[in-house]
Amino acid sequence: MELLANLGNGLAYVIGVVPILTIILGVTMGIIAGAMPGLSPSMGVALLVPFTYAMSPTLALILLVAIYIAANYGGSITAVTINAPGTPSSVVTSFDGYPLTKRGKPGVALGVSLVASTIGGILGTLILIFFSGPLAKLALKFHPAEYFALAIFGLTTVASLGGKNWMKAFIAAIFGLLINTVGIDPISGVSRFTFGQSFLYDGFALIPALIGLFALSEIFKQLEGGQFDSQTVDSGKQKWPTILEYWKLKLTILRSSAIGTIIGIFPGAGATIAAFISYDVTKKLSKTPDEFGKGSVEGVAAAEGANSSSVGGALIPLLTLGIPGSASTAVLIGALMIHDLTPGPQLFISNPDIIYGLLASLLLANVILLGLGFFGSRLWIKVTIIPKRILFPIIFAVSVIGSFAVRNSFFDVIACLGFGVFGWILKRYNYPVAPIVLGMVLGNIAETNFIRAVMMGGWSVFFTRPGSFIMLLVALVSFAVPLIQARKENFKTK
Amino acid sequence: MGKSIGTYYLNRFFKNLLIAVVLISSFVQANFPNKPIKIVVYTGPGGLIDITARKFASVADKYVDATFVVENKPGAGGIVALKKVLQAPEDGYNLYACTKSNIAKFIQVGGRDYVDALHWTAMLMADPECVLTNVKNDIYKWNDIVNNARQYPGKQNWVGPATGGLDHVTAMKIWDEYGMSAKWIPYKSGGRAIAALLGGQGVAYVGNPRDALGKPDLFIAAVSSDERLAAFPNAPTFAELGVTALNKEYMWRGFALKAGTPPDVIEWYTDLFQQVTADPDWKEFWEKGGIDVEFIGGDEFADIVKQDVETFEYYLTKSEIVSTSGKNGLSKYGEGTPLILLTIGLIIVMVLCGYFIYKSTFATTLGRIMVIEFFLIMSIIFYLQSFIFPVSSEVGPAVVPRLWIFTLVPLCILLLINTLRNKEGIEKAGTRIDIVLTFIGFLVIYLLMMHYIGYFLSTFIFLITGMIYLGYKNKKVMITTATIWIMFSYFIFFKILFVPLPIGKWFEMLF
Repeated sequence: MELLANLGNGLAYVIGVVPILTIILGVTMGIIAGAMPGLSPSMGVALLVPFTYAMSPTLALILLVAIYIAANYGGSITAVTINAPGTPSSVVTSFDGYPLTKRGKPGVALGVSLVASTIGGILGTLILIFFSGPLAKLALKFHPAEYFALAIFGLTTVASLGGKNWMKAFIAAIFGLLINTVGIDPISGVSRFTFGQSFLYDGFALIPALIGLFALSEIFKQLEGGQFDSQTVDSGKQKWPTILEYWKLKLTILRSSAIGTIIGIFPGAGATIAAFISYDVTKKLSKTPDEFGKGSVEGVAAAEGANSSSVGGALIPLLTLGIPGSASTAVLIGALMIHDLTPGPQLFISNPDIIYGLLASLLLANVILLGLGFFGSRLWIKVTIIPKRILFPIIFAVSVIGSFAVRNSFFDVIACLGFGVFGWILKRYNYPVAPIVLGMVLGNIAETNFIRAVMMGGWSVFFTRPGSFIMLLVALVSFAVPLIQARKENFKTK
Repeated sequence: MGKSIGTYYLNRFFKNLLIAVVLISSFVQANFPNKPIKIVVYTGPGGLIDITARKFASVADKYVDATFVVENKPGAGGIVALKKVLQAPEDGYNLYACTKSNIAKFIQVGGRDYVDALHWTAMLMADPECVLTNVKNDIYKWNDIVNNARQYPGKQNWVGPATGGLDHVTAMKIWDEYGMSAKWIPYKSGGRAIAALLGGQGVAYVGNPRDALGKPDLFIAAVSSDERLAAFPNAPTFAELGVTALNKEYMWRGFALKAGTPPDVIEWYTDLFQQVTADPDWKEFWEKGGIDVEFIGGDEFADIVKQDVETFEYYLTKSEIVSTSGKNGLSKYGEGTPLILLTIGLIIVMVLCGYFIYKSTFATTLGRIMVIEFFLIMSIIFYLQSFIFPVSSEVGPAVVPRLWIFTLVPLCILLLINTLRNKEGIEKAGTRIDIVLTFIGFLVIYLLMMHYIGYFLSTFIFLITGMIYLGYKNKKVMITTATIWIMFSYFIFFKILFVPLPIGKWFEMLF
């Protein structure tokens, strides 16, 4: 009951003119940061850190968290409209969101992604409020072997993503894992595959690869088709989903929110892997799995519900243990420290006003996101009516600046162009490009935890720990089932 | 004849120009600073060094009329930020926010040259190293840990940040002094390692006392300091626990400038550092975390850096992090000329294969096979490269890349067989590859131009050219769109986010 009273106090604080204006500012900035490839929530947050000196700590945190939440949603806007996911986690949103746009229904995709995002965000926050204690304990008990198993589980979603092309999907995923090993080995500190070049010491950054593989390769593909006259979308008559359509997605959103929150608590795994797993699970449970990848609203909802609810999950280790789960939450820790507050369990006792003000603002920020997104969607759907003759050069310009801004490095721009050409070639020969991104996201988690696990418990540790054994087993099943299904279908058609 | 007169005037012109440049630059230095000073931070926002830089910028604001801009250049443990500082002129406008960890990284990657490339201007604080333990573990008191480690040598798991970093080297030093041994399990960040300690996966964590703040389960088992810290009176020092030689293990944070920065600029900074160090707000902010706030500059700091270099060199060589051992016969193909020859050879093989496929009945599958060949060739090159990695432990740096390669190669071969079997499959006809290639050409020219005429002008030209090439007609719309984009990128990226977009070589010469 004390919890509810505290939360009530928090809400009472947040519902005031200044906090609400702060949240609106944060959400707006977050949407922009998320939608613009190369601008990341942590950059947006870092930009504001100097301003937050002057603010009260609660307000500062509210602002930062609002940016963080909105950025997670913002990534889906460009994923849906121009197939350029602004954040790695919105890659999954583009699987079905962009096909919907191509079919002339960007409104449906944008609507579903917004609603799934905000509901996912609210559910994630509620889980954070009520179950942060036990979930934090679970996160701590997670052994490197289990992290490795989780990463492998994430990788097996490639099998169902690839469908008939599963072999190509796996080749792409493993290639992603392999190029992720370029750079300084996180465990031994040895530089690998760098050929002595210092720009390769940190390997390939994810965002330029993402922009190249998705946005650029898509443009190359359309340029090749020579089709830039077609105007598929008429925004005036654009259809938006009805309440009934949203209601049909309730189970999908609930399920993906639960998946998102739980996977979100593991530092480093976060939103992307949650979105992939949620998409995979939803596809397997769906009545219309064939629709996935061609414009399924369930697919959009699964991806967005999971990546938005993972925000709540990522805050669990931060608030209860004082340990950042991602780059963005690391900035939150910095912001707390600059305000002379020490993140960790004692913050709940010493400054409950801050913690519960923050939790209440999370709920409110999602509501405001829904409102702003609702009106905003009418605005950014207009991107789809920009003539391609203008849009394509602009997207190139965005890609250049976006990949440069990640590390202020020119090498990243060249890498982005390289990935663009590479992605275009792969697409011509029916290789899905998303597994490369998944491989790059999971590569580090898989590798470092594999080695840590072996260092701690020897080679057999993956099978002697029940947690990792069960997860590897689930991974095997999730790998095998789609392949067996595909075989059966192949057999039938023959 | 005319030529030599021309050369004469040209020479005179350059002489005068040189004099002018020297005059202008000395004038500029007299008025240092006359433009914003960049504090280059080698981590992303949020880390302690980032906070140090930002806090410094806000405190320094009280004392001098200068604008400080914090620029995050994360990557390669500080090498990326170092390169950024070294590329700029030695005029003092790029302040490198450095820590002792940088020395470790510099030694690992570039040796002493990197250390000597900087003028180590100021050490502003010393943060004592300490061993943290978890009170929920079976053993958490220092003496118990030492006894246990001596009983089971090399069995204990010590968690912490990167291998070969400051905390790892400190751990090795502690093990040496106590005559014990343990395993170092590195994590991506100190925070993750603390999580592992809290989860009971490690016995000890090496870090700083501040890490224990706000976490009741953590226990400071031993701290490296002459006396107990005022902020942590319950934490025993190593001297109390039997080893007096471990009283000076600390993490320092400070600032460095590019070597060759004029003395008056360094003096300007020295005055500022002294003022900031004496600032009560600055002092209180750090001392609360058990950090010793003291300004050390000049030769004294240079000596500290020199000692650190020697310590790191000793331990990094001893633990074989900096070494070339473990190579075998194949390794010569992984680097230098043999690698280049091999790569060229592989490419020739690839092209030849392509040619034969093109001539054969498999012509329709040419592209598909070439893609698979590309993956295979990459695998071979990566595989050979993996032989040059030093082998320092049972699971060395080559293990996981090889694991991926061993999965990738069979899949590629399987796919190759499949492709050859289904050769009747029709290749997707690329209708307008010429448009794509032209556009790629545009992009390459655009990126090259950016180097000379800067981001803004080249982008404008690229946008207009691209639109015209794609057949857009309305000139007004084209120019408006391009202008809006330029304005947007200028204000948002260049002005607000401080993304250092290239100005262009030619323009840099003008200004």
